[in-house]
Amino acid sequence: MSPAERTGPVTWLTTTDHKRIGIMYCVTAFAFFLIGGALAGVIRAELAEPGRQFVSTQAYNGAFTIHGTIMIFLFVAPFGAGLMNYLVPLQIGAPDMAFPRLNAMSFWFFGAGGGLVLLSGFASADGGAAMGWYAYPPLSGPRMSPGVGVDLWIFGIALVAISSLLTAVNVITTVFLMRAPGMTMWRLPVFTWNAVVTTLLGLVAFPPAIAAFALLLIDRQLGGMAYDPAGGGDPIVYQHLFWFLGHPEVYILILPFFGVITEIIPVFSRKPLFGYTGFVLATLAIGALSTGVWAHHMFTTGAVDNPFFSAMTFTIAVPTGVKFFNWIGTMWGGRIRWSATPMLFSIGFLLNFLIGGVTGIMLASAPIDFHVADSYFLVSHFHYTMVGGSVFGIFAAIYFWFPKMTGRLLGERVGHWVFGTLFAGFNLTFWPQFVLGLRGMQRRVPDYPAEMGFDTPNLVSTLGVVVMSIGVLLFVWDWRRSRRRGAPSGDDPWGGSSLEWATTSPPPEHNFTTLPRIRSLRPAFDERHPELVP
Amino acid sequence: MSRPTGTRAAIVLLAVLGAACSSSLGMPEGATEQGRDIRELWVVFVLAGVVVAGLVYGLIIWSLVRYRSRRSDDPATLGRQFHANVPIEVVYTAIPVAIVVVLFTMSLRTEQRVTEVSARPAVTLEATAFAWGWRFRYPAQGVEIVSEPSSPTQPGPEIVLPLGQPTRVVLRSNDVIHAFWVPDFNFKRDAVPGRTTEFDLTPTTTGTFRGVCAEFCGLNHAFMTFTVRVVEPDAFATWAAEVSA
Repeated sequence: MSPAERTGPVTWLTTTDHKRIGIMYCVTAFAFFLIGGALAGVIRAELAEPGRQFVSTQAYNGAFTIHGTIMIFLFVAPFGAGLMNYLVPLQIGAPDMAFPRLNAMSFWFFGAGGGLVLLSGFASADGGAAMGWYAYPPLSGPRMSPGVGVDLWIFGIALVAISSLLTAVNVITTVFLMRAPGMTMWRLPVFTWNAVVTTLLGLVAFPPAIAAFALLLIDRQLGGMAYDPAGGGDPIVYQHLFWFLGHPEVYILILPFFGVITEIIPVFSRKPLFGYTGFVLATLAIGALSTGVWAHHMFTTGAVDNPFFSAMTFTIAVPTGVKFFNWIGTMWGGRIRWSATPMLFSIGFLLNFLIGGVTGIMLASAPIDFHVADSYFLVSHFHYTMVGGSVFGIFAAIYFWFPKMTGRLLGERVGHWVFGTLFAGFNLTFWPQFVLGLRGMQRRVPDYPAEMGFDTPNLVSTLGVVVMSIGVLLFVWDWRRSRRRGAPSGDDPWGGSSLEWATTSPPPEHNFTTLPRIRSLRPAFDERHPELVP
Repeated sequence: MSRPTGTRAAIVLLAVLGAACSSSLGMPEGATEQGRDIRELWVVFVLAGVVVAGLVYGLIIWSLVRYRSRRSDDPATLGRQFHANVPIEVVYTAIPVAIVVVLFTMSLRTEQRVTEVSARPAVTLEATAFAWGWRFRYPAQGVEIVSEPSSPTQPGPEIVLPLGQPTRVVLRSNDVIHAFWVPDFNFKRDAVPGRTTEFDLTPTTTGTFRGVCAEFCGLNHAFMTFTVRVVEPDAFATWAAEVSA
């Protein structure tokens, strides 16, 4: 069947084409982002002023539980998986992923898991999941959360975890076995390197978490006592298992987008990446170190009083710092087209993520944690990494590869507005939260006393969400418009370097009719500039 | 930048840093010895963060402005095609290593000081958290204070600590994980069921301070508050005698 005949919903539902699966991942994840964002709106509306205005405490607790779960497990991580699906085979010159059907199965497991998580929050008759996204027992145990919500949540997250494991196997196999002739590991595009490290981390981190959730389910349904001190269990064991997933998970959420902006910055600086080898080594170092930092989430338990986890957490700042110098070195001496929307979002990423990184060093210090852990300072810190970093990376990726996926450009002028509102709104939302946390506002509360110095920062923070919402809605409008009526982009609107820019936009079903010779990190660039090939 | 401008900038920077050192940069002053210690460490971390972030922001913005593409440029013009510079890369890896070694060492020393428990605390306070309230006992004084079941309108129970003397807090939980946090003391500790954890508070300022539960513990987590009043040791003894009677 020719590609022209493969249209209509059924062909999408049954597809095993990595490009279509990638797009389905991204679109589904983005839909979850809109749901999670609406829940953030509920949270911020309730907190705009002291006193209770909109929702019951139970509904509020459910809202932040499902908000966190969606944003981490159903939006940022699967969006990264979607990009990997779409880009990895194209970047290494392969016709598809190594296991196309397994790939389709990963997507449908993710969709099913996401559906269960939504049910756990909204549709369970005797109490939805309202125990926080990390589901600490005994709060998530049978006595304190008897409703079916937590069980649905466990099944949903387990399905998503299995989906991630299958994707990991697929990506790693594809990169190791299906590279085109000439595509050595040291010519692998940086996004693909980040995909490899991300999926390796998933492979290491998800199985213990699935075990942790299984034990929780046994405690809940079969009278297990793994986490119940009354039966000789220990809630701290759950925390170790959970954060052994949880901390690599934050790198699973950020590494793909380090990869994204590291593809974009050289293209718009009209230069090669500065320090490619160092960058790849730093990525590997981050991957390795991130499996040894988990207990920095547990400093205030008093149950991990050794310096190992703090030392590892400080150390992981070094390879992250190195990357900043890679990015600066790449821009240095360039001809920077800074106003192109993908580049704007990449610059926004740099400016925001730096604050996330600097406050991350503060949180690596156990005594500073004694004050700021579980406060709004911590909330702001991780939003600076996950929103200011990953979500800005997601928008950079959308603006950069939308022409590759559709053959059309998103609106540049609208893009500037989307960037402006998101950047201003994001900083308005989260900067005041540093102040709130330092002043003593704890997280996960629907209310706070008046005249504690909490009123103004909370109001500003809520206004920030309004500004961000305008940006997101503007983007959705432009996306719907540009899909069919955007300006034709040609095959390569940006002057791209990596292999995906050497095929048509959108690419044919098997990606390449001819492959350029791969002699460096930038095969598409080499084709345009044969005089510069060493 | 001319030399006088540079000198002026350095003076301004020093003045700002000096002012910063004498303030607490957002964190409460710290009404206990331990809290002050943590706040001093915080100030060092913030200043280090400001210097590093300032340098990196400076480099980013300088590159963007200096190497921006101009309208008059031929769109096909490329930047300088260099790939790496090993000496520079070694330097920008080594400097962060040095910074984090220093910060980690300072952090470790502070941690050891603030988690140290004295051999002879003046007062022992047993705090037991439950969903959603607190039971406080002073075994030596025969005092027990228990929350009314917390609700949005109810103020929490009040505990009293003597000024200038270490109070040993023995923290437990009856049901789920809670956390004992007094923001003005810059300190919190989780109460984990099945475990007992101990820490010292040595107040340095009299006054009344707000305490909260900092670990999400279910429905009324937000309203699981308490109050700490720090008084002179004599007043503490008087208070204990009154309440136990």
